[in-house]
This record gives sequence, structure tokens and C-alpha cells, in this order.
Amino acid sequence: MKTRFLAAAVGALLLGLSPLPAMAAGKTIAVSWKTFQEERWKTDEAAIKAVVEAAGDKFVSTDAQGSAQKQAADIEGLITQKVDVILVVAFDSDAILPSFKAASDAGVKMLSYDVLVEDPNALYVTFDNVGVGRLMAKVIQDAKPEGNYAFIKGDKGDPNATFLFQGITEVLKAALDSGKIKNVCETFTDGWKPDNAQKNMEQCLTSTGNKVDAVVSENDGMASGVVAALDAQGLAGSVPVSGQDGDKAALNRVALGTQTVSVWKDSRALGKAAGEAAVAIAGGADPASLAGVTKFNSGKKGVEVNAILLTPNAITKDTLNEVIDAGWISKAEACAGVKAGAVKACD
Amino acid sequence: MSAPAIGSHDPASEEGLIRRFLNATELDTRMLGMVGALLVIWAGFDIYSGILRPGDGLFGGSFLTPRNLWILMVQTSSIAVMATGMVLIIVMRQIDLSVGSMLSFIAVSVGYLQVYGLGPALGVGHPAIWIIAVLFALVMGALVGCLNGVLIAYLRIPSFIVTLGGLIAYSGLAWWVIRGETVAPMDQTYKLIGGNGPLASIGPFWSWILAFLACGGIVAAIITGRQQRRRFKFPLRPIWAETVIGVVGSLVALGATWLVNSYPWAPKVIEKYALEHNIPIPDGALDASGDAICREGDKIVRCVNGLSFETGYAIPVLIAISVGFLMTFLAMRTRFGRYVYATGGNPEAAELAGVNTKRLTVMIFTLMGVLVAVSALISTARLDSATNSLGQFNELYVIAAAVIGGTSLAGGIGTIYGALLGALLMQSLQSGMTLLNFESAYKDMVVGAVLVTAVWLDQVYRARMK
Repeated sequence: MKTRFLAAAVGALLLGLSPLPAMAAGKTIAVSWKTFQEERWKTDEAAIKAVVEAAGDKFVSTDAQGSAQKQAADIEGLITQKVDVILVVAFDSDAILPSFKAASDAGVKMLSYDVLVEDPNALYVTFDNVGVGRLMAKVIQDAKPEGNYAFIKGDKGDPNATFLFQGITEVLKAALDSGKIKNVCETFTDGWKPDNAQKNMEQCLTSTGNKVDAVVSENDGMASGVVAALDAQGLAGSVPVSGQDGDKAALNRVALGTQTVSVWKDSRALGKAAGEAAVAIAGGADPASLAGVTKFNSGKKGVEVNAILLTPNAITKDTLNEVIDAGWISKAEACAGVKAGAVKACD
Repeated sequence: MSAPAIGSHDPASEEGLIRRFLNATELDTRMLGMVGALLVIWAGFDIYSGILRPGDGLFGGSFLTPRNLWILMVQTSSIAVMATGMVLIIVMRQIDLSVGSMLSFIAVSVGYLQVYGLGPALGVGHPAIWIIAVLFALVMGALVGCLNGVLIAYLRIPSFIVTLGGLIAYSGLAWWVIRGETVAPMDQTYKLIGGNGPLASIGPFWSWILAFLACGGIVAAIITGRQQRRRFKFPLRPIWAETVIGVVGSLVALGATWLVNSYPWAPKVIEKYALEHNIPIPDGALDASGDAICREGDKIVRCVNGLSFETGYAIPVLIAISVGFLMTFLAMRTRFGRYVYATGGNPEAAELAGVNTKRLTVMIFTLMGVLVAVSALISTARLDSATNSLGQFNELYVIAAAVIGGTSLAGGIGTIYGALLGALLMQSLQSGMTLLNFESAYKDMVVGAVLVTAVWLDQVYRARMK
């Protein structure tokens, strides 16, 4: 027993020390994560890895641990290792630009994943964030075409909060201008925190005397605070509420009827699309010629980049089966506490 | 001091009167200043919000309404509970930066336990769930706090460093427990701890009972206080001063109770409650200004003389008030409290006098952990879910509340009621500015400026007192 354990340990050690196998036919595809401290990136990595390894290529990844300097060093290291393609989730999309240039100069193909890096040579793979806002607003507007709207926006320092709001106002503009929809509260929420969203919503209900007909909340976490505030006034379930992320608790609220929609960005679909693009580019394909590539120039500097923009899914009571079928959430979790016959996907 | 001439109007004698009043009542002038500032801020918010959108507030706005003040109290309770512990920690010349992350850690653990542990094991809605969850949280808080204390006292690592490490490590632990997910929903009984909505309060009857008990308590405290002073031959307060304190104290208790009992349930909540409990809804005509509900034909409408309920004290507010009382008692009336202040005033002298400062440090951090657990219970119950972000940055607000409340970072000085007022002041600023739709950048600027100004005023005040 003891010797076997020892042998195994020594074996493991030797494996760890052995030099990397020579790359015969396979290319190497790397990912530089900004931080691995968030649940979702693990899902993304699994999806990318699966595609890359299925194509016979090698997958490596680095974690910048939330530091721009570490990310630059990571990418430098990857260039030295002569990888073929690097997917980057940038921690700081400006500070990383020199690294992108250095990689391109060394002949490494770059992809910016989820976070836009304005380098004309890099392919940008992401969900359409303005589209998320549009989708949210559309579902809420369908549910409540006129009345008093409250807007619970994300953190003031996060550009995504503004992107989202851009999409939201785009859809609601006509109704807001004509007065069919009235903006009664609009507030940023520090740190996207649910408890801050709850306080903001309470204050909104107090200042309007509960005269709020619909709430556009920019994500699911904040929606939980909004729903708690509405619940205290007996309004949960009768006032439509939006969100995004496909949080398990939020999907359960969608099934229970206290939240109207959670816009879901399937990170596995994103990982798969990025993995496929990376494999194709590593094989010598021109990024501009890949399927689904469009031109994108809505960044801060207006640099035109090639982009693959995925459309997110709006998960409502009627489309709840999509998340269950995809294995994102179990039926038991999504449908906890739902009365029989209320939601089709739960029966 | 010479008695001022009756009928004289020179300012010096009026100042003399005020001083005489303060001396006789032995009231903390600093506290009076804070209460005054609070009232000015409240009135200001009410007037300003009234200009933007007229409401039923005292000055025509929407801030000084029973509803807003009720919510304000609930919003304050979590920070207030922790601030009472932070006072003693700062008095001991220590600091605890880890309370926010610790809250997060306890919150997600207790949420996880309910949703994935107790729910499936005992069946959702089992009456023991909330009790087990509460005990679990309190024990966990005590353990984590104790760990902080042991590292600080026995390994002699500065508390700033230990709790800075805790700030980082406990948030990591919190993430590790639920992997960034949101856990929901909480147990139905457990939810009451959060005071989210009128059902999580004790109702007007028990609120009045509490108010009368409080009045009785104030009178009893004054009488026993007099007896004690007589016994130890301390100077007595004049009878009129005692009467003023008793009357004002009772009026505050009754007024607060009247306030929370004037906050009516929202019509939708009454409707739901009536349906669930088979309470008949009387017939009546629509009147949007009423707070009651009536049946008009086959519709439920708002009306004046229909079915209505009043709210009363919210449970978390009662928890915060009780914690305030207990902690005040602990600080002022026990050996433990005297040791804490003595150690804070002069650690070497206290140690030489035989105070086991190491054990005291462990005890005080353990107590802090328990209080953080109480706040974690309130926060999760109120949000009806547990997430990593609960508690984030709370350490800053807790320390700010204690400091605005007059706790000196040099140690030895600080009061529990000051910290409670400090917490209420900060939350008033934040809620008020949200009510006025201020941009959150301005809110941060104002709260930061108020913190610094409060400490500066405190310095000026203390310098003048010397």
C-alpha cells in the first residue's frame, strides 16, 4: 500500500517534470483570464478546452488574478512559449493594448473574449451587450406597454451598465417621448449589489407612493433586491421585473412569476464559438472570412474590429425549458415551489 | 455660577441658562448636537423632497412620513448592530476591518445551510429550520471572531493586519462556499428577522405594550439611579431635571411607537393577507387617498373606512434596540465593560492592575463576531437571499458609524448610543439622497465629507471641553 502510493507519487512528479510533448500537428491555443475568481469563467474554460482538444490542438491557460501587470507578463510568457492563438479576457482593455501589439508582431493571433480590446488585428468574440439591454426592455414593454417605469442600473463605474442602458432606452425611446412610459426613478446601484438595489427600490416606491408599474433591473442579483422591496409592498408578481445572467435564484423567480425575464448569456455557447474561431485561425484562416463575423466599432475609441456577436436568450416563463434542456439548471431547482400547471416547463 | 437676573435679556445669561440646564440634567451635549444635526437633516430632506414632489411629510415632502422613517429604521439596523461592537473594539485601541467579509461568509453559509441542507433534510418550511439557522450563525460568528481575537492577543499580530487579512480571506471563503451563486429563498419564519414588509413586525398592540414598558423602565431607572446616588453620597440631580428627563424619554418612546403604528400596510398586502386568512373585506367606495381596502362590486379598491392594518415595530429594529441596550449595560454596568474602557485608556496601567488584557481582547472580538452574525441574519432575511456581495464595504460604514458617534480612535472613549445615532445619521443621508434621486457619486462624496467633518467637530468640541 505504502510503496504503491510512493510509486504513484514519484510517477506524478516525473510526469510533472517531463518536458512538454513536441507539437507534431496540433497547434497551441491559450487563454489569458483576467481573474479565475468568478464562477462563470470555469464554464467558459471547459467549453473552449473541449473544442480545442477535440480538434487535436493543445490548450493552456493563465490567470492574471485581477492585475493588469500580471496579465501583460502572462501574455509575454505565452508569446515566448510560441503559442499560436491567445484569447484574452482583458482586465484593463487599454493597458493591454501594447501586449496585443507585441503578440501580433511575433505572429501570434489575438482574440478578445467577452471584453473589447480595440486592436484592429484582434477578433472580438462576445455577447451583444447592447442587445441584452434591448431584449430586457422589449420583454418588459410587451408585459406593460404603458405606465411608470423604474430603472435600476448597475454600478456607475462599469461601462456595461451604460451599454445596457443604451439598449434599454433605444427600445423605449418612442414610448418615453410620447409619454406612454414615464421614467419615475432611475438610479445607479453601487457595486451592482442586491441590498443596495433593494434600498433604491424601497426609496423609489416611497417617493412615488407605490405607483410603479414596471422595473427594468440590469441584472439578476439586483432583481432579487427589487423583488424583495416589491414583496414588502405586496407588489411582487404584479409588477414586471427584468434581469440578466440566468442566476439560479432568478430562474426560480421567473418560474414563480415574481421576475418576468432573465436574459441568459450561455457562456458555453460563447466558449464554443470562441474555441471554434481560435481553432480555425490557428489553422491559417483569415478572421474576417469566418462565419458570423461582422464589423464592430462601438468601442470608446471607435476602432473597427472584426467581431462575432452572439445573441442572448430571453428566459421567460414560456422559454424556461431552454435553460433546463441545456443542463444549466435542474428542473427541481428551477421549479422549486411552483404550483402544478402554472409553468409548462415545470410539469 | 451666579444666578441670572429674572427677565434679563442679555445673551450671556441665556447661555448660562442653557449651561445650567445641561449641568443639572447631566445630558451629553455631544449627543444633543448629533440629535439636532439629525433633525435638521431630516427636515431638510423633507422640505427638499416636497419641492420636487409634494407628499404627506411633516413639511410637505416624502421623507418625514411614517413609512419612510419606518424603512429608514429597518435599513439602519444591520449596520447599527455591528457598530455597537465596533465601539468597544475601537475603545480597546483595536480595529476590525473584517466585519464586512465576515458578514458575507456567515450570510452565504447560513443561506447554503437552509437551502441545500435543512430544506431538503427536514422538508421546506419545517419550524425548526430558522432556529437551527440562527444558532448556527451565532456559533459561527463567535468562532470566527474568536479566531481573530486569538491571533491578535496571543500571537501578537496587530489587529489591523489580522483583520485586513480577514477582510480578504473571509470574502474568499464566502465565494468558496457558494461559488458566486445567489442562494434563495430563505425560510418563511426566518424571513421575519429581516423586517421586509409589514408582516415582519409586531403590530400596534405589542408596540404600545413595549412603549408603556419602556416608559415604566425609564421611571424605574430614574428612581433607582437616585437611590444609588444617595447610597454612595453622590450629588443628586434636581427633581425638575429628573422630571424633564423622564418626560422627554417617555415622549420619545411614545412618539416613536405612534410613528411606527401610523404606517399602514400596503393595500396589496392587506388583500393578500385577507384572502389567506379568510377575513371579510367590507363594501365601500373607491377613494385613492385611503389606506384601507374595500370591495366595490367584484373589485378590491382603496378606500377610507375599510379593512386596514397598522405595522408597528419591525423585528430587526427591535433586535437592534435590544442589542443597543445589552451592549450599553455591558459597557457601563459590568466589570467586563470597565476593563475594556480601562484598557483602552491605558493598556499598560490596566495590565499592571491585573486586567487580563489578552483574554479581554479575545472576548471582545468574539463578541464582535456574534454581532456580525446577528447582522448577517438580518441582511439575509431582509434580502430573502444570500450572496457574496452582502456585507461588502460594510466595515467602512460600521467604523464610520462608530466614529461619527464620537468613538475616539485613540482609545478609551466611545458610547454605544453614539454609534447607533451615527449609523442612523449615515443611513439617513443615503436614503434621503436616494429619495431625491441624487446621483450615487454625490452620495459617496457627501457621506465621506460628513465623516471627516464629524471627526473635526469632535476634535474642536473636545478641545473646548478641556
